[in-house]
Amino acid sequence: MSALLEADALSKTYRTAFRRRDVKALDSFSLSVDTGEIFGLLGPNGAGKTTFVKIVLGLVKPTSGSASIDGTTVSDWRSRRQVGYLPENHRFPDYLTARQMLRHYGRLSAGQSSNRDIDRLLDRVGMLRWADTPIRKFSKGMMQRTGIAHALANNPKLIFLDEPTDGVDPVGRREIRELLTSLRHEGKTIFLNSHILSELELVCSRIAILNRGKLVTEGRLDELLQKQTVYAVTSTRIPEQLLDRLSDVQPAPVRASGRGERPDSELSHYEIHVSSRAHLNVVLDQLRREHVEIESIIRNTDSLEELFVRAVDSDGSSQEGIAR
Amino acid sequence: MSAAFEMMKLTFLELWSRWVTVGLFVASSLVWILLSFTLNLDIVEGSLTGVRILGQDAGVPRERVETASGEAVQQFVTLNMFVSQIQSFVAGVAYWAAAFLGLFAAAPLLPGMLSRGQSDLLFSKPVPRLALLGGHLLGVFLVVLTLATYLYGMIWLVMILKTDLVAGRMYGSILVVVVMFMAMYSVVALLSVTTESSALSLIVTYGLIIASVSFLFRDTLELQINRPWRGVYVGLYHVLPNFAETTKIAAGFAGEDPIGSWYPLISTCLFALVMYVAAAWRLSVRDL
Repeated sequence: MSALLEADALSKTYRTAFRRRDVKALDSFSLSVDTGEIFGLLGPNGAGKTTFVKIVLGLVKPTSGSASIDGTTVSDWRSRRQVGYLPENHRFPDYLTARQMLRHYGRLSAGQSSNRDIDRLLDRVGMLRWADTPIRKFSKGMMQRTGIAHALANNPKLIFLDEPTDGVDPVGRREIRELLTSLRHEGKTIFLNSHILSELELVCSRIAILNRGKLVTEGRLDELLQKQTVYAVTSTRIPEQLLDRLSDVQPAPVRASGRGERPDSELSHYEIHVSSRAHLNVVLDQLRREHVEIESIIRNTDSLEELFVRAVDSDGSSQEGIAR
Repeated sequence: MSAAFEMMKLTFLELWSRWVTVGLFVASSLVWILLSFTLNLDIVEGSLTGVRILGQDAGVPRERVETASGEAVQQFVTLNMFVSQIQSFVAGVAYWAAAFLGLFAAAPLLPGMLSRGQSDLLFSKPVPRLALLGGHLLGVFLVVLTLATYLYGMIWLVMILKTDLVAGRMYGSILVVVVMFMAMYSVVALLSVTTESSALSLIVTYGLIIASVSFLFRDTLELQINRPWRGVYVGLYHVLPNFAETTKIAAGFAGEDPIGSWYPLISTCLFALVMYVAAAWRLSVRDL
């Protein structure tokens, strides 16, 4: 697959107005998004996600580095011809109806926008019956749906969605997820910025985690989640000397469920951190050789949330000096 | 071009939806209705009747002037001259009414367009930033042109109905009002793209308008100011906009006399040009 969006060593430093303090929002950030994928950019508040999207959309000028969309540098306004964007905290002119708004913004994006196209878009996001209602009467969820329709108004190849499910009820969220999936089937590339990790986990094919302006990790979601698989093992007690030798095996933390070692039981709970099935079997063979009897093995894959927290923690979670 | 046109329409729609255009229409209507009442006052009626009775050529005595040969000649006020004086005065008042109303109405638009949430939507479109700014400015100017045409048009209609005399150059006044509004709005534009504050942009614009009043008395003030500061004052006269002095040009179009000097209009236009270039540059380089 060819890269539709490419960023090379992007850096952005903001200078505060009065204190003349430099704030580094992005630090040599490189990224590549392929055609037809749903890409998720994650990061804590102030990690630089919005700055990155704004640079790519020509709203913010990078301090150094470069980026391009479909081969056109982002400093050229023509690079945005095939781009749709739903910003976070968007504020559409509330005196317009949904139809008027889509007509005006559609014409700004594509030069033309017919009533049939607008109806089709509104129908797609479940807003057709509100087409002629002023936007000021919309709820947050309706606003988000209309915003998504706006991002699709010019039939873009690349769609940036910043917190698209913000304020949307669970049923609406599922509909938006289905819409994103169907857009991907149509060959669209979707770039998602979201804090709702469970949502991203359900739709993204690839993710990147950004922290303090730097790329912490990036890759296919399934690969990242399987990089470190944890097996919960219940067995007879493993001698201390053996545990010291086997760094992959750790006693399971005592949880609310009561899991962990109990003094009155002959069975204990352990966690085996391995990267592959073969590695697991090597560890199990060592345990058996030492006469440890295994009661059960359960495979636990990391959730995106655990992956995210670990990635940010390992990078240093202090948010001091982080930009917007 | 279509993007600029779309932006122009959005600006127009925003003014309409916020009842600003209706407000401008009502305020302008109040101005010309008030004028109609004023022209119906007995004193005005009497003066007009007096001038009419004496005829348009053989009017009432006005003043004695000396000719080149040194002969003293009696000047007369004709109906044309009388009406022309009233029209000039009214044109001056309308100039300020249109400019102030237009500024009040349009000043919050640009900061709103640049505010977070709206700027992201607009400036992420595949349109050059300058086309968006240009479309917005065109929209605002069109509204002011409509307002000035309505205000001046109604005033002149009242004058024609009252005096049966048609001032042929009235369209010039409308043009002067729009050009001067464009000059005033250039300050709003530059400050808005720099600070996003409509309050600050209005304060500075009104400050420049007040400062320009002092340029009306340039001849007197120049002689009164001490030497080191005189240069500064004269420099400011040439650099800053001459909004107040341009009133004479707007009024001149309504009257019969030729325009004395075009310099205030030209220097103000140059000032506006510099402001718009600076605003366009600032918008093209700033982060949104």
